[in-house]
Amino acid sequence: MYQRNRKYSNGEITVYWKPSTCIHASTCYMKLLDVFNPRKRPWVNMQGAPTEKIIEVVNQCPTEALTWKWDDEKKNQDVTETDTNHIKFKRPEMGESVKENQVLQVDQDIPLKIQVMKDGPILVEGSYLLTQPDGSKITMKGISSFCRCGSSNTLPFCDGKHRKIGFTG
Amino acid sequence: MKPDERKDLTEITVIRHGPIKISGDFIITGMDQEIMNTEGDIFLCRCGGSEKKPFCDGTHRKIGVRD
Repeated sequence: MYQRNRKYSNGEITVYWKPSTCIHASTCYMKLLDVFNPRKRPWVNMQGAPTEKIIEVVNQCPTEALTWKWDDEKKNQDVTETDTNHIKFKRPEMGESVKENQVLQVDQDIPLKIQVMKDGPILVEGSYLLTQPDGSKITMKGISSFCRCGSSNTLPFCDGKHRKIGFTG
Repeated sequence: MKPDERKDLTEITVIRHGPIKISGDFIITGMDQEIMNTEGDIFLCRCGGSEKKPFCDGTHRKIGVRD
């Protein structure tokens, strides 16, 4: 599925897009529509905002769907852990498969983190016991997103449909 | 709750044709990043029709939720 991966550069940084790991948290286009606009093709416009702003928003992607690096390789030596989505910390290189749950180190003693996204899904981060509508139970770990609009084709999880139907709330 | 007092994993139950129930140890933040009620069980809307979003108000019984 790597053929759908994309990369975008503005000469300063390269942003990598790996759709297979997107959970539709919607953080990118809610925070920076001028750069990340799912209604446009290409959906990433690197000229839409200053580099610093793009880095700030890419670092907020809760998955590794969006990652970035400096085009000047020397600068990549100096990134710190605050640059959470730099390729040094997420996805070593484009196209490489990532083991499940590798992204997050989950501590069972940390309370489950739940975030309700505006006009979007419920984001869940941590370890939990999931009971599905059919009664089956499964232990989950990492990040997942649950549908709030009722229209997902992958219920109970989000598939990004909320954007297409214009869900609000 | 202290870590050593923790007994069970937090539970998320997807109720058939209904809301999501969350019980146990969790922190929930709303759309404005404010921390919301984390005491006791909560029920979150899954049908998209609740007037009390993100919480369930029973509207799913009228409009239905696919599963």
